[in-house]
Amino acid sequence: MAAAGIRLHPACRVRREGFGLLFYDSRGPRLLFAATGNLLSEDYFETSRTRDELPEGLSDVQRKSLTKFVDQLLEKGFLREQ
Amino acid sequence: MSNRYVEMGMRSPVNLTWEVSLACNLRCTHCLSSSGTPAEDELTTAEALDLVEQVHRARVFQINFGGGEPFMRPDFEEILAACHNRGIMTCISTNGTLLDAARVARLATSRLVAIQVSMDGAKRETCDAIRGAGVFDAATQAVKLLAATRIPTSINTVLTAQNADEIPAMHEMARSLGVSLRVSRFRPSGRGADNWEALRPSPAQLLAFSDWLAASGDVRTGDSFFSLTSQERQGLGLNLCGAAKLTCCVGPTGNMYPCAFLQTERFKAGSLRTETFQEIWDDSEIYTSFRGLRIHSCEECQRFDQCHGGCPAVAWHLKNDINGGDPECLERCVTSIADDRLAKAA
Repeated sequence: MAAAGIRLHPACRVRREGFGLLFYDSRGPRLLFAATGNLLSEDYFETSRTRDELPEGLSDVQRKSLTKFVDQLLEKGFLREQ
Repeated sequence: MSNRYVEMGMRSPVNLTWEVSLACNLRCTHCLSSSGTPAEDELTTAEALDLVEQVHRARVFQINFGGGEPFMRPDFEEILAACHNRGIMTCISTNGTLLDAARVARLATSRLVAIQVSMDGAKRETCDAIRGAGVFDAATQAVKLLAATRIPTSINTVLTAQNADEIPAMHEMARSLGVSLRVSRFRPSGRGADNWEALRPSPAQLLAFSDWLAASGDVRTGDSFFSLTSQERQGLGLNLCGAAKLTCCVGPTGNMYPCAFLQTERFKAGSLRTETFQEIWDDSEIYTSFRGLRIHSCEECQRFDQCHGGCPAVAWHLKNDINGGDPECLERCVTSIADDRLAKAA
């Protein structure tokens, strides 16, 4: 069975800020400030991708950290599985 | 809320309050902008659509439309459609009287719109005393039409001395209609300034409301009442004024301000007719001064971390001092009630 794709929830938006990424959930509304630096672009969540599909060139520590971050976004409802 | 990141400065507002017209078919006694007749030289359709493009490029997440009554603008649905075509989320604050089944059906075709219908009392006579005869029934009908769609809908109530006791009943009314309740703070701007003494909630009413709000987690406030935020609601919203940091306001003629309650020449940040949205957000002296605003007179207060001095707009309108601290914060309500009791006992 193919792995489930994840993407931004339709009620949510994301954009780049100096500290990293800013997520907005219109259902609250609520904000999430993510100090991701330059590791992820705002486009990363706009298309469906699998959970372990991370940008190239990351160190193991960065991969682990971003995987955990993506899991948190799923848990908080900013991302959803399709 | 991470104040540290907010204070680093945002590339653009998270949301924008856009008062698209001063035209209104009602004359509510608490109106923040003295709406009625349209302002001279309001933005044309072409200018409004250009602003939507600019807001899209700035990656603003949401536009909150108000006025005046937004639906008084014949091109309002065109402006709204332009927002939705660009993926901008929208929320419309309306008095509900111009919403019929056909318009609601058109609005319901978008998943990017939410609607707030203003009502100011659970009783017809309370609401109509503020908003005008027949408005309670018309607004209720609009809420029923909206509740039958998938449009996220709320009843928006401005807390006043007259309706403070009816807020729990309004909560019940909203529930029974299948929508949510949002309560906003009454501020002394526009016609609200003329009727301030008659309509302002007393410190005791504000305290009672704060307690009730603490136990009513599903009631939204649009961060109106962060000056009254109890322990229970911490984390539900802002703990500081978001003007010029997370939000800003565009008036009917394209002037930009820190917030809807400071739409005066003194606080004009710029005009969209001479500068771009992004230029004003980045470079306006007014916005820069708001980003650096520190209410030093409140720093010793035990609640400082919970409100950071409260609403500068109320401080300005009541004390003519933007740095003065919110005259209606929780701490001052408590002090005021204690002082009254002491005075009566003496």
